Amino acid sequence: MRYLPMAALLLYPAWGQTELDVAQGKGIFRNNCAFCHGLTGSGGRGPSLISGRFLHGSTDEDVKNVIRNGVPGTTMPSFDFETAEIDHLVGYLRTLAGSAPKSAPVPGDPAQGRQVYLRNGCSSCHRIGMEGSVFGPELTRLGASRSPDYIRESLLNPSADILDDYQGVTVVARDGKRTGGVRINEDTFSVQLRDVSQNFRIFQKDEVREVIHETKSLMPAYNSLSQEDLQNLLAYLVSLRGDVNAGAHVNKPEGVR
Amino acid sequence: MRRRARIAIAGLALAATMCGQQVSYERLVNALKEQQNWLTYWGDYSAVRHRGLNQINTGNVKDLRVDWIFQTGQTGAFETTPLVVDGIMYITGTDGYAYALDARNGRKLWMYKHTFPQGRKATAVNRGFAILGDRLFMVTPDANVVALEAKTGKLIWQTEMAAYNRGQYTATLAPLAIKNKIVVGISGAEYGIRGFIDAYDAETGKRAWRFWSIPAKGEPGGDSWAADSWERGGGSTWLTGTFDPVLNTLYWGVGNPGPDLYGESRLGDNLYSCSLVALDPDTGTLKWHFQFTPHDIHDWDAAETPMLLDLNWRGKPRKLVVQANRNAFFYVLDRETGEFLMGKPFERQTWASGLDDKGRPILTKDALPTEDGLRICPGLGGGGNWMAPSYNPETNLFYFALFEQCEIYYSNPPLYIQGRPYWGGVSRSAPGEEGWGLLKALDPLTGETKWDFRFFRPSWVGTLSTSGGLIFGGDEDGSLIALDARTGKNLWHFNTGARLVAAPITYLVNGRQYVAMPSGAALLAFALPEPDR
Ligand code: HEC
Ligand code: HEC
Repeated sequence: MRYLPMAALLLYPAWGQTELDVAQGKGIFRNNCAFCHGLTGSGGRGPSLISGRFLHGSTDEDVKNVIRNGVPGTTMPSFDFETAEIDHLVGYLRTLAGSAPKSAPVPGDPAQGRQVYLRNGCSSCHRIGMEGSVFGPELTRLGASRSPDYIRESLLNPSADILDDYQGVTVVARDGKRTGGVRINEDTFSVQLRDVSQNFRIFQKDEVREVIHETKSLMPAYNSLSQEDLQNLLAYLVSLRGDVNAGAHVNKPEGVR
Repeated sequence: MRRRARIAIAGLALAATMCGQQVSYERLVNALKEQQNWLTYWGDYSAVRHRGLNQINTGNVKDLRVDWIFQTGQTGAFETTPLVVDGIMYITGTDGYAYALDARNGRKLWMYKHTFPQGRKATAVNRGFAILGDRLFMVTPDANVVALEAKTGKLIWQTEMAAYNRGQYTATLAPLAIKNKIVVGISGAEYGIRGFIDAYDAETGKRAWRFWSIPAKGEPGGDSWAADSWERGGGSTWLTGTFDPVLNTLYWGVGNPGPDLYGESRLGDNLYSCSLVALDPDTGTLKWHFQFTPHDIHDWDAAETPMLLDLNWRGKPRKLVVQANRNAFFYVLDRETGEFLMGKPFERQTWASGLDDKGRPILTKDALPTEDGLRICPGLGGGGNWMAPSYNPETNLFYFALFEQCEIYYSNPPLYIQGRPYWGGVSRSAPGEEGWGLLKALDPLTGETKWDFRFFRPSWVGTLSTSGGLIFGGDEDGSLIALDARTGKNLWHFNTGARLVAAPITYLVNGRQYVAMPSGAALLAFALPEPDR
């Protein structure tokens, strides 16, 4: 990015933002948001922001509210921006919004997709609501927090982006016995895993032969599903927009009697 | 062995107490002779952080255990380096707090709390006190220098270093007391400040001199900044410098230029950012400077400890200043002239194919951040950083913590709003690549690694060297460790339960050696169990 000469300070007719403002909005986006929403806003560890559809509302005020307050219970953080910063940021987001073809809602049959999910043993590693295993990440709100493209890649090539909290580790004991699992915690002297039976496995590093950090995801690649099954499964996963606290009991005070 | 060490040291302690509480300039010059005390941020003016204490040693360190804990109750990163003066410990906390403690048991003697004018941000780390005479000196989150009465913690004077400007200027370092002056630096290059080093009269708090770390247009070095970019040129001076009383020279590392990651608006070398400056401590006049990273756009400041060593360089005794820089090179300079003598990478780096004979880096084609991101080693955090190194004259090795990491650097034009980050980019860890910390033993004459101890995560912990043959260090996960200084073998470790971000010190009271380390909201003091109790 070259430093913009004064001559470039032409008004952007639509948003009341100058070219420099938008360039700075882009900078703010890249410095704070791109990590999750992708360099071009097309999604990653957060949803796509260029599809023109917003779950939390699509007016400038709605979008600013999400940015200021975050989405509680999800990884979307809150940001303490100044007015000028948030204006430039949203101005930039608006230049992105039209950039993707308005993608059709993901084709496929979610009900059929749920059957594909159950048949392929997904719930032996994943939870939706309170149902399933905690070995892999919870999928209750997957459709709200990931773009369809990202979800597709998670199925076909899971090692492309391994979530930090789900790093695979294999511990080799002194007698050669191997224990694999998801890394729950680790420091210089110890490592704590969760195995596929959902049990904690705990090791002191000086008591084992080797601790191997897997570069492959613990999630098997599902690249031999039929085209139809894959499409239905995707439609099902994209439809998952449950409340992250669904299933927990929230007891209210019973009141003064 | 152990008993003999105790008696020798007890003698020292007695001699020191006879001088009373007055910490004169002479005592500071001779700080290394008071092995039982810790009189300056680095332990002495040269910053070797080595103590001749050997009660805790390679043979018994396995028995080291927590002896007492002082809970400050303050949140935030606890980065203080305690001072210990004849059995009394002085520490600063976060957010303008400070305390005096009984160094034998952590019992509080007094507490000080800085008063913030309404509307001022009151949160920042603090790295510790300076002591001179009967006074303690610290800086505050809103960039004041404060003098306290050591006996009571009562405020004597307070001087604002810079206009508050919505929190743009902050101060976090431990001041350096030299003769009758208190030398301090400033933080805020991330917010578009123009940096400086200041000296204040210890008696009155009046400013004695100011050295601008970023020269103005027309001043020497001013032409190394395009247009008016020097006005927000950064150059924080956020870590304490070192001092050579014989050469009467002050050495101070200057931080990165601002905006940190965007260089288009400030073309030029950007003096004296990322440089070591040598100043006359009486006047603040520049004697020489050496710039490690000209026109930096990686946030690789040069604040890291400029340690002063007198070594045999290529067969001749020479006065040196050495630094493990954030840019991943270990530098040796002549500290009388600033002449570049050696610069060697101490970890993976992808930005320089080497240094020329003046020490100027020769850039690779993949040295600079781009708009769409470029992987560069080391990462933004270094390399070296604020983690204090140490030098052991018995092994002749330099021990320091470093961050072994590569990152993707993004660069973009920043928006300037007073008091808001003015970075011009960001860095992210490269996907699938985890960084880790190393505690390295290096031969300062060759730059060669003698051994490495690898931590699982980064180490933001300084090192401490003792005649017990030990190097203390620690890591991000909260482990405080002791290594064999000769081999790097791990002899002891303790999970303190919170991220460690300071450096351990050691001292002696009543014949007993302690190792003290801040962790979380607590100051922990370790000692060997007492056999007779
Ligand atoms: C740590 C990852 C992360 C970062 C960083 C992040 N987001 Fe998000 N964002 C998310 C996730 C996850 C969601 C989906 C929340 C949910 O489940 O509803 C989200 C949702 C949103 C939404 C609502 C989308 C909708 O459909 O209504 C907007 C707008 C948004 N983010 C903008 C931003 C902006 C702007 C930034 C930077 C200033 C940012 N985000 C930074 C993860 C992130
Ligand atoms: C053997 C256990 C296992 C099975 C079986 C499994 N997964 Fe996974 N899955 C994981 C783990 C572990 C991760 C996290 C690691 C990663 O990010 O690659 C993951 C990640 C995912 C993600 C990305 C989640 C996110 O938040 O980004 C999706 C989507 C997913 N799995 C869907 C499925 C579906 C659908 C199935 C069945 C067709 C399935 N998984 C079967 C273990 C499993």
